[in-house]
Amino acid sequence: MSIMSYNGGDVIAMMGKNCVAIACDRRFGIQAQTVSTDFDKIFEMGPKLFVGLPGLATDTQTVAQRLKFRLNLYTLRENRAMKPKTFMSVVSNLLYEKRFGPYFIEPVVAGLDPKTNEPFICSLDLIGCPMVTDDFVVSGTASEQMYGMCESLWQPDLGPDDLFETISQALMNAVDRDAVSGWSAKDYVIEADKVTIKTLKARMD
Amino acid sequence: MSRLYDSRTTIFSPEGRLYQVEYAMEAIGHAGTCLGIIAEDGVLLAAERRNVHKLLDEGYFSDKIYKLHDNMACSVAGITSDANVLTNELRLIAQRYSLQYQEPIPCEQLVSWLCDIKQAYTQYGGLRPFGVSILYMGWDKHYGFQLYQSDPSGNYGGWKATCIGNNSSAAISMLKQEYKSEGVKLAEAMKLAVKVLSKSLDITKLTHEKVELATLTRDGNSCKITIMTATDVQKLIDEYEADEAKASAEKKEKEKASKS
Repeated sequence: MSIMSYNGGDVIAMMGKNCVAIACDRRFGIQAQTVSTDFDKIFEMGPKLFVGLPGLATDTQTVAQRLKFRLNLYTLRENRAMKPKTFMSVVSNLLYEKRFGPYFIEPVVAGLDPKTNEPFICSLDLIGCPMVTDDFVVSGTASEQMYGMCESLWQPDLGPDDLFETISQALMNAVDRDAVSGWSAKDYVIEADKVTIKTLKARMD
Repeated sequence: MSRLYDSRTTIFSPEGRLYQVEYAMEAIGHAGTCLGIIAEDGVLLAAERRNVHKLLDEGYFSDKIYKLHDNMACSVAGITSDANVLTNELRLIAQRYSLQYQEPIPCEQLVSWLCDIKQAYTQYGGLRPFGVSILYMGWDKHYGFQLYQSDPSGNYGGWKATCIGNNSSAAISMLKQEYKSEGVKLAEAMKLAVKVLSKSLDITKLTHEKVELATLTRDGNSCKITIMTATDVQKLIDEYEADEAKASAEKKEKEKASKS
């Protein structure tokens, strides 16, 4: 039994043309038993900044709360919104602090720069190693499946609607091949002027 | 003789006074005025901005008014460096509560916590007290809109309207006469704030550069803290001056009529 697959769950983030999308499944289970089907793993950290925290569910909640703490103090002191790249460093720092007793999550950050609206995605491992890419990042129990789906479906410079389709198909088909993921998905498409949130009902199992 | 009892904060004088605390309050009496007023639909804080020097490079946008949390803001009077330390601490206290209880800190609890810290500096450690008085405005689900004042001794009180800093006693007596606790909306309270400030500040003409005004209101399920823009503040000042001019013109007319 691996602790990273005790609760199950996945998150994907993809880069588009002047937009980013981040999606997660909504299952919360205890090994084989599904307990809840509305457990979102994506949290809003700013109007155009989102973080996905797949892994052990208790750490998902705790890390989201602790990140909000640090982000709130930053916003109050600096009187400005945090850039996604800076937020990645905050996540990395928080995780490395627990280097020898880590939080069992592998986060994904997606957002737009508050001033320039430049898109940004990255993922980190459970002890805070950051990885910035310009295509897509995946994390969770179905990561191998998601890598396969993203590699085949993703193309550069997708508009918001195409990006939504791509990320949805990638996530849905990947989680269908994983016993501990699924039970619908939630998609966030982040553009300069709006954030569109859609819930997708597919194989409810 | 009383000089012997001044230099240490942690001892009483023979008359039972804490001189260091009183001296701290003296320092605040010379600082820029701040006033707060509660209305039916919100709270406001107005502060006199003293740092208007031509050579000052205006990097920040608020001199005296600080946002503490989504549901609270404060205004300070006294030693600015002490104020910075305290506002930082207030923000940390509010965040820690929020992290532990996953809900915003009730206003009185935040004030009370900081006041306990301020009190410690009057009893232990041999350190001087903070030379800052703070006006807090906030909203919580227990008591709605609230206004608190705290001082260097660590005492605090809840107020409907109050003032700290230079000429605060004159401002308070004016507020006592003019403040109505029922049926006052925020717009009216803002007019009252401008009136009280212009009458109690030591300057001849009130301009938007000398005044900072912030309001806290409820917008559906969340609080909105707005620091008013220079144009809006100037508009309020202009409205007030127009009203004053009209009132004094009417008075002159009456006097003329009664004389002839």
